[in-house]
Amino acid sequence: MILEAAARLTEILLALALIQQGLEHLRGFRDERLLFGARTVLCVLLVFGVASPWPLVGLAGLSLLILHRFQGPYNGGSDRMGLLALWCLTLSRLAPVPQWKELAFGYLGVQLVLSYFISGGVKIVNADWRSGRALRDVFRFSAYPVSEALRGWADRPRVLRAMSWAVILFELAFPLTLLSRPALIAGLAVAALFHLANACLFGLNRFFWTWLAVYPAILWLQARLF
Amino acid sequence: MLNAFRLLLPALIPSWNFFDVIAPSPRVEYALTSAKDAAPADWREFRPRPERVSVPALLTRLFWNPRWNQTLFVVSCAERLADNPTDHSQDELFRRIAADLSPDLDAAPWLSFRLVFLSRQGEVIEREVLYQSAPRRRQDIAVR
Repeated sequence: MILEAAARLTEILLALALIQQGLEHLRGFRDERLLFGARTVLCVLLVFGVASPWPLVGLAGLSLLILHRFQGPYNGGSDRMGLLALWCLTLSRLAPVPQWKELAFGYLGVQLVLSYFISGGVKIVNADWRSGRALRDVFRFSAYPVSEALRGWADRPRVLRAMSWAVILFELAFPLTLLSRPALIAGLAVAALFHLANACLFGLNRFFWTWLAVYPAILWLQARLF
Repeated sequence: MLNAFRLLLPALIPSWNFFDVIAPSPRVEYALTSAKDAAPADWREFRPRPERVSVPALLTRLFWNPRWNQTLFVVSCAERLADNPTDHSQDELFRRIAADLSPDLDAAPWLSFRLVFLSRQGEVIEREVLYQSAPRRRQDIAVR
C-alpha cells in the first residue's frame, strides 16, 4: 500500500466516522448543531476529495473550536484518536517534502500500536488487573455498562480474570503482529472485535469507528518498515 | 486559541493509559424544589441505566448512540467538576439535566444537582457526595 492510497483511505474512513458523530450532535443544542453541521459538510467534501487539502485544514481549525466549546474532548479517548488522525493527515497533506509526509502519517501508525501496547503495559503492572478485580469493578460500579443486567458479570470472577488476561496479553503482543502482513491483519481483526465488544458492553461506539479509520496507517507503516 | 491548543496537546501526544486504575465513579442526581431556599429532598438519578438492552438495540447503537454519548460527556463533566470546579462543567450539567426534564416550570422551578461518587472499599461499594450545586432557576437555563 503506497502512502497516497493509505492516507486517502484513512481520510475517507475518518470522515465517515466524523459524519456518524456529527449526525448524533445534530440533536444537541444550537451551538453544537452549528459546529457539527459545518464539520459534517467538510467531511462530505473530504469523502469526495473536493478542494483537497482545504477540507482537512478546515476540519483541523474547527477541531480547535470544538475543543474550546466542550473544554476538552466530548468523548475522551475516541475523540483524542480522531483528533490525532485528523492533525496527522492534515500535516501529512501540507508537508512540502515526501519524507515529512511519511513522518506525519507514520506517527499516526506508531500511535495506533502504542494505543494497544501502553494500555496493556499499564494494566499488567496493576495487581487489580492481573487478578481480574479491576474488570470486576468496571462491571460492578463504573459508569460504563449500558444496562443493569450487565453488572451481573461482576459475579463471575473467573471469567473476568480470563478476560483481563486475554486483553492484557493481546495488547502487549500487538507490536509483534508488525513482523508479518498476515499476522498484522489477524491482529487488527481481533482488535476490531475487541472494540466491537466495548461498543456493545459499554456503549463506546465512537472507539470502534475511529480506531478502524486509523488501520490503513499501520498497514502502510508495516509495509514501509518490514 | 492558546487554550484550545493546550486542550489539543494530549491528543497529539497521547498517554493511552485507558482504565489503568478504576477510579471512583460519579452518578449525577438532581432534585427539584418549589423555592430557592427549600432543602432538596427527593434526589433522583439522572438517566439511570435500563435493566436490559436488546441485542438489536446494541447493534443499532453502533451507528446511532447520541443519548449514551451525551451521558458519557455528563460523566466527564462530573469528574472535571469534582477535580477542578469550573462554571463550564456546572453549566453543562445544568443544561443537560434541564433539557431532559418536563418543560412545566410551575410546580418546581428550582433545580439542583449533586455528584455521588461510588468506590469499592474492600468488598463494599461506598457512596460519597463530593459536590452539590446551588439551586438554579430552570427558566434561566438555556436548553436549546
